[in-house]
Amino acid sequence: MSLRNIFRTVRSTHSYLLRYNYLGASFSNYKSVVPLSTNIPALKDEKVKVTFVLNDGKRIETEAKVGDSLLDVVVNNDLNIEGYGACEGTLTCSTCHVILKQEDFDRLPEEASDEERDMLDLAYGLTDTSRLGCQIIMSKDLDGLEIQIPETINDARS
Amino acid sequence: MRRRFCQLNLGAVNSKRNITTTAQCQQADGLELGVNSKQRTCPVHQRPRSTHAALETPVFGTATSSAKSWEEVPGPKPLPLLGNTWRFAPYIGNYSVEHVDKVCLSLREQYGDCVKMAGLLGRPDMLFVFDAREVERVFRSEDGAPHRPAMPSLNYYKHVLRKDFFSAEENCAGVISVHGDSWSAFRTKVSRVALSVSAAAQYTEPVAEVADDFVYRISKIRNKDLETPDDFLNEIHKWSLESLSLIALDTRLGCFDACAGSDSQRLIDAVNTFFLCVGELELRAPWWRLYPTRMFKQYVAALDTILSVTLKYVERALEDSKTGGNKSLLQELVTAAGPRVAAVAALDMFLVGIDTTSNAVASILYQLSLRPAVQEKLYEEITKVLQNRPMRPGDVNQMPYLRACVKEVLRMFPVVVGNGRQLTKDTVICGYHIPKGTQVIFQHYVMSNSEENFVSASEFRPERWLLKTSGKHHAFASLPFGFGRRMCLGRRFAELEIHTVICKIVQAFRMEYHHELLDYHIHPMYTPNGPIRLKMIER
Ligand code: HEM
Ligand code: FES
Repeated sequence: MSLRNIFRTVRSTHSYLLRYNYLGASFSNYKSVVPLSTNIPALKDEKVKVTFVLNDGKRIETEAKVGDSLLDVVVNNDLNIEGYGACEGTLTCSTCHVILKQEDFDRLPEEASDEERDMLDLAYGLTDTSRLGCQIIMSKDLDGLEIQIPETINDARS
Repeated sequence: MRRRFCQLNLGAVNSKRNITTTAQCQQADGLELGVNSKQRTCPVHQRPRSTHAALETPVFGTATSSAKSWEEVPGPKPLPLLGNTWRFAPYIGNYSVEHVDKVCLSLREQYGDCVKMAGLLGRPDMLFVFDAREVERVFRSEDGAPHRPAMPSLNYYKHVLRKDFFSAEENCAGVISVHGDSWSAFRTKVSRVALSVSAAAQYTEPVAEVADDFVYRISKIRNKDLETPDDFLNEIHKWSLESLSLIALDTRLGCFDACAGSDSQRLIDAVNTFFLCVGELELRAPWWRLYPTRMFKQYVAALDTILSVTLKYVERALEDSKTGGNKSLLQELVTAAGPRVAAVAALDMFLVGIDTTSNAVASILYQLSLRPAVQEKLYEEITKVLQNRPMRPGDVNQMPYLRACVKEVLRMFPVVVGNGRQLTKDTVICGYHIPKGTQVIFQHYVMSNSEENFVSASEFRPERWLLKTSGKHHAFASLPFGFGRRMCLGRRFAELEIHTVICKIVQAFRMEYHHELLDYHIHPMYTPNGPIRLKMIER
């Protein structure tokens, strides 16, 4: 292909660009309308109580909206747990690792999916009652859930 | 349900101090690191299951004071090298590029768990890491925008040549060859859609249809001995492109019977040209930096074609999305982030999503053809789940052995032999101060084939992935899709496509291989070297 042709291609790409600039503008307002969250929207604004136990022993009691994931709960309540939920719930990081009490673990409605388990294997300080917080969806049944946030490698280092 | 979790007692996490051998291992390593010996004292490495163990030992001690300097990291004398990283895989000039796998094994033999490759012409120094625990540490200390070294030629295309397009809107350059805030903003827009497990499952049926067509195609292209033709890999590429277009462009391109001049043929040609050129451009002397070589022009033209075809389909998806109904992934992306983001995301997916997946499938089929017993077991599992009905979302989740076989092939023959990060801050690795900006390359091929990380590493044992206790393998040794915020964006689709097509092929054929065993080479995916002539016998 000659240089001239390259320039021609540039120009034709350019015209796309102009068209799409326009479309981009007209569609940009959708951004705020369409929730990207994968959560099941809560029908009612029901709330349940959950307790986070941080690795320094500090307990934080808070309310969680039914239908939110545990990751949402951490984010929405500004719990500021360092490094928690780095991949924003897309199952690529395992930083949202939580440890549950056996009875809580058993009463979760769903077992970990294959995708969750693959990431869970990579969680730091894995236990038999470990789950990933971004995959646990709050329901009425989970009222009173106690969630232990394990230490991270960074805690261990300092 | 099977559980793969480790030993540790439930509930007792806090009280149980599970001090493993890790502490001693680490210390022993520390002593050895300076020496050019590769004798390891601990045969098995375990990650601490109780984090308390870690606290009491210097396992994660970035004990900065005791760390040695960058100058002391062992490694070969600087070699006169030319540009050499292609995509995620590292290449080392002077050595035979196709056999970096073997080169890395011997580097490790000679120098130990971390090896410095310095004095690389026109590029930052590299550090090869062969210790899974160090890989874990680097990954875990990642910040919000991990930097993965990428292809300079694509960099040039996106940021210089077509700057107008890729920077016309804010954060619209994509994820490949993009870094920092710009990467992060784009990734956030795309990953919630692309990595959603349910979004991928939605494609089960159409992806299964493409797989059915491919099975039909295989039965047609076999020779009189029922063997697949020499260019079977190219046929697999077509399947891969067809499947990915379905996902990224909402479209059946018709790759299996594409005619000249059609969009599908143009896209197939462009993607092929891209594969062909990118290896050459990245591995050989970068003349293109000085003037547009012939190869470089072809490369740019191919990228332009891919971009314009994707734009066209995005536009169509835009039209369709106005009519309502169930939203496809592309429509989700368009509505959530705008058409340009969707088009650039599709471009990136085409650039890295086709040959990775097809080479993985080629490798899996070849490995299965050598193992009739494994095929039988798979066949049994598949028929039990499907019972002669079409595939539905969730079926693959009932096929643990299938998933395990795929993992096992990707462990022994990872299509991407190494992954890497360019350090965004000074970091201590293997007891050395490694300066910011160094490219750290995790040698997964070596790690996932090493006895230290996997028991009987040289044996093909899918069962190891089904064990309740995770056995003895270090979870960070085999990471075929990477890890963390920058993990493979197409992993859900890749897994869906691979599981589906392997399922369909095993269901339809018994596979045999009657030629000389194939060696693997890096081309630039890690793939069997030679024609993949599989005898496909109808079941
Ligand atoms: C067997 C098939 C595949 C393998 C083994 C594979 C492997 C990888 C690896 C190792 C990375 C680097 C991850 C990291 O830095 O931690 C990556 C990144 C990526 N992959 Fe894949 N991949 C495959 C298929 C696909 C497919 C089908 C797509 C597209 C649909 C895709 C899209 C991407 C993208 C866009 C990135 C860059 C992500 C970023 O930098 O933010 N991959 N892949
Ligand atoms: S937030 Fe990353 S896996 Fe849950």
